[in-house]
Amino acid sequence: MTNRNKLAVLVVTLCALALPFLTNDNRFLAFVVGMTFINVLWATGMNLMYGFVGLIPLMFAGIAGIAAYAMVYFTRTLEWSFWLAMPVATLLAAIVGVALGLPALRLKGFYFALCSLVIQSVLTLAFIFFPTFTNGDTGINQILPPDWFGGQLSLSSLEIVIAILAVSGVLLCAWLVRTDLGKRFIAVREDDILAESIGIKVVRTKIIGFFIVSVYAGVGGCFYAAYTGFISPRTFDVLVSLNIWLFVAFGGRGTILGPIIGTAILAPLPYLLQDIQAFKEIISGTLIIVVALAMPAGIYGAYLAARSRKPNRSMEARMQEQRV
Amino acid sequence: MGAIFSLVAAGVTIVYGCVWLPNASNGQFFLIAALLAWTLTSSMGWGSLAASIAVIALGVLLAIALEWLLIRRLYDAPHRNMAYFVMTLGITQIMSGVFSLTYAKWSDQFSLPPIVSGITMIGPMPIPNNRLLVMAVSLVVLGLLFTLLRYHPYGRALRAVFQNREAAALRGVNVKGIYKLSFVLGTAIIFLGGLLFALAYSFDLTVAWTMSITAFAIMIIGGPGSVLGALVVGMVFGFTQAIVSIFASPTAATFSYLGAMLIMLLFRPNGLFKR
Repeated sequence: MTNRNKLAVLVVTLCALALPFLTNDNRFLAFVVGMTFINVLWATGMNLMYGFVGLIPLMFAGIAGIAAYAMVYFTRTLEWSFWLAMPVATLLAAIVGVALGLPALRLKGFYFALCSLVIQSVLTLAFIFFPTFTNGDTGINQILPPDWFGGQLSLSSLEIVIAILAVSGVLLCAWLVRTDLGKRFIAVREDDILAESIGIKVVRTKIIGFFIVSVYAGVGGCFYAAYTGFISPRTFDVLVSLNIWLFVAFGGRGTILGPIIGTAILAPLPYLLQDIQAFKEIISGTLIIVVALAMPAGIYGAYLAARSRKPNRSMEARMQEQRV
Repeated sequence: MGAIFSLVAAGVTIVYGCVWLPNASNGQFFLIAALLAWTLTSSMGWGSLAASIAVIALGVLLAIALEWLLIRRLYDAPHRNMAYFVMTLGITQIMSGVFSLTYAKWSDQFSLPPIVSGITMIGPMPIPNNRLLVMAVSLVVLGLLFTLLRYHPYGRALRAVFQNREAAALRGVNVKGIYKLSFVLGTAIIFLGGLLFALAYSFDLTVAWTMSITAFAIMIIGGPGSVLGALVVGMVFGFTQAIVSIFASPTAATFSYLGAMLIMLLFRPNGLFKR
């Protein structure tokens, strides 16, 4: 990492951590910021899978849902502390996610996406049809914020915790893709047959990636539940997975900054455009089509491509001038 | 039910097998057809038959428009099945947004006047003539489709493209023309499925999602690109749905399809009726 990059990371981190403080006076804005941070965490996880391993895990929201429901069960029925329930629920969700995804991980590309869509549908159905844990279609409300040394964490402190989590999630992802594991991920994305032939265990690599992604999903799900106080099967259905996918694809898959940009632009939209809430699906559907058709690299990816192309172009221009 | 399942799955399977376009929005197309038929009959007072013809015509027009607007742009893209999958999920989202803005506000259960009335007893089971007619129509269309694919030059070209795009192109098949035709044909068949479903059963807006998943499941189990597979597996699904729904619940039936599909993807991703 160059010094300039380090500085940029520092500035972005500080800004991110400052946001909850700055918006603290306006509860609504603070809530939008908090939700955006949770989505940044989710998008980073999704990006690890979609951007680096090259698979679209459409059951992402379902895994987040398992963690959220498990967390609520642990804190309510078993009366655990949130800080114990959260990691256990996350681990549980990650294990369930890997167990469900294990067979699917042998597939590639479209078949994996289709399989994950099916798994997501099964999970959504399961959330509806096991009301003992999930209270069925009505969902669970009045989930308490995390406890904190006897009292409860206030919403504004929770926002700071979420901001810290989102930033560390991004940093972890940035570090991870530089390690050998990250390089194996990319090798699998680029050409899994070639990767296999140079001794990378493709399926094992995918499983490791998927486990990490599930942890991201689970942590995000637990904090989502604690932060909004309400979860239902609708909170974790396939549209949510698709939305998170859209954040990543719109921003730029396979880059660290891209998903953050995508989330920062798209995640607050539904809250700010509350009057035309019903158009939300139409807007995001249109964006999905635009991304699929015109911007496979996303906005940050397009920016990077334009930047790396520029010197060449000016070189060509110069050569042309000389020729003239 | 089985016949309609087969029909829709045949539509999906033709498009996927040929164009490599996994149409995730097939359930929404299915629903549009049903809803349009409902609008034409209930709100505008058309007869069921006239409405049916109009709906199919509209379906063909919609397919042509979509093909021109979106689908053809990715014909040459690598990994286009992935891009298409995501794109059609986008279409699904737009349509479900539109439906929740319009039809969901008007009613939550829709049904169409039957084309023919009366009841026939088949063994101990009373079956409305209307449903028999619907079943007959779907079987006839499936039969036609099968014949078309097997004997007509277009069908032969289409199967050639299924098997090997490059070789088909070398033999003088207009591959993109075939893509276009099969997308339009597949969509028209899905529309017909939706229409027949609307004629035979009352429906609500959730049928779209169920149908999407079911059609994919049938396609995967039957083998992408195989109309025969779609026919057989669709029928099996229809009957199991009926039986499981009687003894357990429709949800259990859905679970069992999805399970069957996952197992299939794991062990024989090419399906039972691989060509």
